[in-house]
Amino acid sequence: MCKRFRILNYFFILIMQTLANENLSQRGREKVKNKWRAGLLAMSLGITGILTGCGSNEDSSNEGTSGSKNKQVTIDVFQFKVEFKDQFEKVAKDYENEHKDVKINITTVGGGEDYGAALRSKFASGKEPSIYNIGGPQDVADWQDKLADLSDSGAAGAALEGTLDGVTLDGKVLGVPYNQEGYGFIYNKNIFKKAGIDPTTITDYASLEKAVKELDSKKKELGIQSVFALPGKETWVTGLHLSNTFLAPEFDNNVLTAYDAKKVDFKYGDAFKKILDLQNQYSVQPTVSLDYSKQVEELFSLQKVAIIQQGNWIYGSIAGIDEEFANNGIGILPIPVEGYKEDSIPVGIPMYWGVNNNAEKEVIEASKEFLDWLYTSEKGKETVINDFKFIPAYSGYDASKISDPLSKAVYEYANEGKTIGWTFMGYPTGWGQDELGVQIQKYLSKKASWDEVVNTTKKSWEDNRK
Amino acid sequence: MRKKDLTYWFFLFPALLALAVVVVAPLVVGVYYSFTDWNGIQVKEYVGFKHYIELFHDKEFINSLWFTTKFSIVSIILINTFGLSLALIVTTKLKTNKILRTIFFMPNLIGGLILGFIWQFIFTKAFASFGSIIGSEKLQGWLSTPETGFWGLVILMSWQMSGYIMVIYVSYLEGVSKELVEAAEIDGANVFQRFWYVVFPLVAPAFTVSLFLTLSNTFKLYDQNLSLTGGGPYNSTQMVAMEIFNTAFSQYNMAYAQAKAVIFFIIVAAIALLQVYLNKKREVEM
Repeated sequence: MCKRFRILNYFFILIMQTLANENLSQRGREKVKNKWRAGLLAMSLGITGILTGCGSNEDSSNEGTSGSKNKQVTIDVFQFKVEFKDQFEKVAKDYENEHKDVKINITTVGGGEDYGAALRSKFASGKEPSIYNIGGPQDVADWQDKLADLSDSGAAGAALEGTLDGVTLDGKVLGVPYNQEGYGFIYNKNIFKKAGIDPTTITDYASLEKAVKELDSKKKELGIQSVFALPGKETWVTGLHLSNTFLAPEFDNNVLTAYDAKKVDFKYGDAFKKILDLQNQYSVQPTVSLDYSKQVEELFSLQKVAIIQQGNWIYGSIAGIDEEFANNGIGILPIPVEGYKEDSIPVGIPMYWGVNNNAEKEVIEASKEFLDWLYTSEKGKETVINDFKFIPAYSGYDASKISDPLSKAVYEYANEGKTIGWTFMGYPTGWGQDELGVQIQKYLSKKASWDEVVNTTKKSWEDNRK
Repeated sequence: MRKKDLTYWFFLFPALLALAVVVVAPLVVGVYYSFTDWNGIQVKEYVGFKHYIELFHDKEFINSLWFTTKFSIVSIILINTFGLSLALIVTTKLKTNKILRTIFFMPNLIGGLILGFIWQFIFTKAFASFGSIIGSEKLQGWLSTPETGFWGLVILMSWQMSGYIMVIYVSYLEGVSKELVEAAEIDGANVFQRFWYVVFPLVAPAFTVSLFLTLSNTFKLYDQNLSLTGGGPYNSTQMVAMEIFNTAFSQYNMAYAQAKAVIFFIIVAAIALLQVYLNKKREVEM
């Protein structure tokens, strides 16, 4: 294709030069002719440069991917988890050393970036990745034509029961889980100790409220600004995570039930309101503009608040500020759902790996092998626990090796069966953050009543699922 | 004027090609997508004017359009007032002229996203601390209500763009011939009269340019909006560009977002053309 471009270009230059010559000579402006010709030549060369520039790029990428000459297979991974980027790249290097015929390119887009948008533009650009991330049923529905069946892979076989529900379509497993994550009320052990509160006694809403009130009355002595820090600005904390705790029970803790649900009832809406009010009332104000970094880094890590609603992923941020505190000073309390479970925390799979079935056959096979190796080989398992610091979503792991206290606590909750499912991936697209989260902001600003919040969001759920 | 022969078009070709590839083609494709159910991955069917009808009933979109209009009117007035005032200051015979020009222009060299975060810090932290020192409740909790969010954005934009607009006014002010002003002075015109009847009509072209720039910039504002308020609280400070972006990339209603973008384009183009037309009529030829 590029050769054709180049040949076309030469013709183009020739034609243009002749045309220019004739034009000028007809007018008898022989003197300026040379100048014109020089200018034209330069411009034609410029255009040639642009076109061949594209061409030479294509040449090199062709050599990279086709690779039938030396049997080299390239796996392009496009993933979103920024937190473990370095460790992941290191593991990929190790894998390349063990498997000389495989080359792994990793691109990470995440954190503040919008992974979904980046993935779409990546596919639109024609450079489709061979391994990428999908979040849940909606992603599966959107990408189903571009997802390979992973049912027969080792990783899918080892995945814990129930973790594959969200990515199974017509009996085909289209993704394998990253890890497990959980969230709840993360509390400061030192402050609790100082206040003389035993965290193990907090097992329901009444005991939580009592503890909060006690902490609030001793604010000055404990040296804290408030009991909670409720980040109303982060609509994912309120609209996805908090809401999930109270909506998951009505969807039987199953993401697919939520995904198929034509309506939402807010069956535990009162319990939801109570917890939201409790957090808001005893929080650093104004909650509506409080963001993640203020909540986790500025207030909680510096021990200015006693409790925040967050998940095990904040361990790294806290450790970056105060390692000693991160390792010995934090734990997770349940989020009580009155009338349902009051001693549980929501645990689920944040993301799945999917393999692009548009890729060449060898690449698909190599991608599957890589994922199997990562999650089921001895070396892979070790990395997953020690380097990635993941809570494994697969069987056959030695959980006692989990090093950070939050992940360990989440794993223990999961072991005791004190969990609520993650169903927010089954909400209508954008509903959790752009509808519910925004309505909650309105409620926190006292611009809407709780009934208005419930009715508005109920209606938009139904409109979305018509 | 030169006859438009083949060489004329030939020299125009690279520019036209670039324009076609990066402006015209996306526009055409975008308009096409707005009539389909495109989800960012593939097009399944043609839906006609469905999205266009829908968006006139879309409260979020109408709200953001209204907010953007309010914001633009206030910012355009403030930016041009400040810009012209600064320009008048730095064209007088001050020793610090050059350095002042640089200082006033500098905010414009900082990227919008970073500026947003810097001002977020000023509004939420510095304002609050200052407020608690002087005991003012009004300086607490900035950006947590729609009003403070609005004024926060206006202050940020005025601070950033005034210097830029100043440069435009300066270039026109320096082009006003000294003789005219002097003649007016001899005729007994006072400072205000000299400015209003002599200088002001002569810098009218500067208004055309400045109003156009401020208008298009404030209407299309995205990055400052994103980093300063993020549309919050409860989407009350969400401008059109951001609303469109969210429709496209957090709700994945790509085709619908595209329809909004087309309407937005038409509105901005119409207002800008009208403004340039009206301003041009007022300009004085020397």
